[in-house]
Amino acid sequence: MYNLIIFFCLLALGYFSGNYFEQQHYKSIKRRERKTLSLPAVTFGAKKPIPEAEVAALFVGSVVISADYFKMFVYGLRNLVGGRVVVYESLLDRGRREALLRMKEQAITWGASTIVNVRLESSNIGRQAGNNKGMVAIEVIAYGTGIK
Amino acid sequence: MKYTPKEITEEVNVTKVHPLVNLASLLGTTIVVSAAIYLGLGFVAGQLATRMDPETEIKIGQSLFPTGISHREHSQQLEYVEGLLGSLQQEMGATRIPLTVHLWENEQLNAAIFPGGNIVVTTGLLEAVETENELAFVLAHELGHFAARDTLKALGRSLVFVFVSTAIDSQGGASGVVSTTGQLTNLHYSRTQESAADLYALEAIIRRYQHGGYSLDFFARIKAKDTKGKLSEYFSTHPITQDRIDELKTIAAARGWSMTGVASPIPETVTSSDHLP
Ligand SMILES: [Zn+2]
Repeated sequence: MYNLIIFFCLLALGYFSGNYFEQQHYKSIKRRERKTLSLPAVTFGAKKPIPEAEVAALFVGSVVISADYFKMFVYGLRNLVGGRVVVYESLLDRGRREALLRMKEQAITWGASTIVNVRLESSNIGRQAGNNKGMVAIEVIAYGTGIK
Repeated sequence: MKYTPKEITEEVNVTKVHPLVNLASLLGTTIVVSAAIYLGLGFVAGQLATRMDPETEIKIGQSLFPTGISHREHSQQLEYVEGLLGSLQQEMGATRIPLTVHLWENEQLNAAIFPGGNIVVTTGLLEAVETENELAFVLAHELGHFAARDTLKALGRSLVFVFVSTAIDSQGGASGVVSTTGQLTNLHYSRTQESAADLYALEAIIRRYQHGGYSLDFFARIKAKDTKGKLSEYFSTHPITQDRIDELKTIAAARGWSMTGVASPIPETVTSSDHLP
């Protein structure tokens, strides 16, 4: 019985705090995206001469985002029945956009005119193979070549 | 090529589903599907239990019976319980396999029957009963579970439970299996099974003593001074309610069974706790 109460407390904590932080994060992401809109970040540029560049530099933005208890529980259920893991979609979306923003913000400070050859990578942290318990956190890295 | 900056306004990468709606639909699906599987496999297990031959039942009993509990062998107490059980069996007809009584040195009040005809009675129970009629009712109740193959059905359900939870906990490995196997010996019966076992017990008591007096006193007394811990063990598997006692009294009245009579005492040698085995 006590376990059940603790479980519901954790679920509520995960739901409310997770939602709150997610909304705050999205607000910040949207504001900063508008601010960095002028800098083009494009995926082309690999194995090609970089257009009209005098200087080039590598920019890396990375972020680690954790799931909350609520998301993990819903994911656990989803894992049983299969289908789209809707609760983790926002987690990855936030990760990608935040990593891109961090990369762009650095490039803007440096004075880049464009970022070419942008790549995104993600990996999960905290869950080793064979261990299905523990925290769920994802790392997203965005990197590209800034030119000016 | 001209670069046109474009703000993300449509969230194509995040599905617009309210998290709670998502949770509700998932919970619903999981509960419905697992209930269906549980009921279906439970039904199969029940069918197997009713068709099991005695040899298999004995084998299962041997492999499942908890080892390492301190028995009290060759004592007068054990002989007494065996004798009482034997006399009850005589009244109700021979059982499909021979029963074995195990006297367990434990201060908890508990009596339980395991698959394979192993009856465990705690020394705590022997000390707590005041008349033979009380003890006889508890034993006959367990006999009722045995006769109805409730133990096997419960075992079947537990096996299903272990199977399903192991499948869910597929990456958990051995730890999950070990913890759930513990549930095998934790037998739970349904209300209907309890009522049937009660009725069986009362019938055996009537045949044995020609009256049902004192036989229900144990439950009434325990219920009155229900303290935590010591008693909870038996009543976690056999929830005793006033309904059950009332139901038995109604049936007894309807069948013309006498519920008053002379109490049969328990021999001194059995009740004294300082008795040497
Ligand atoms: Zn029972």
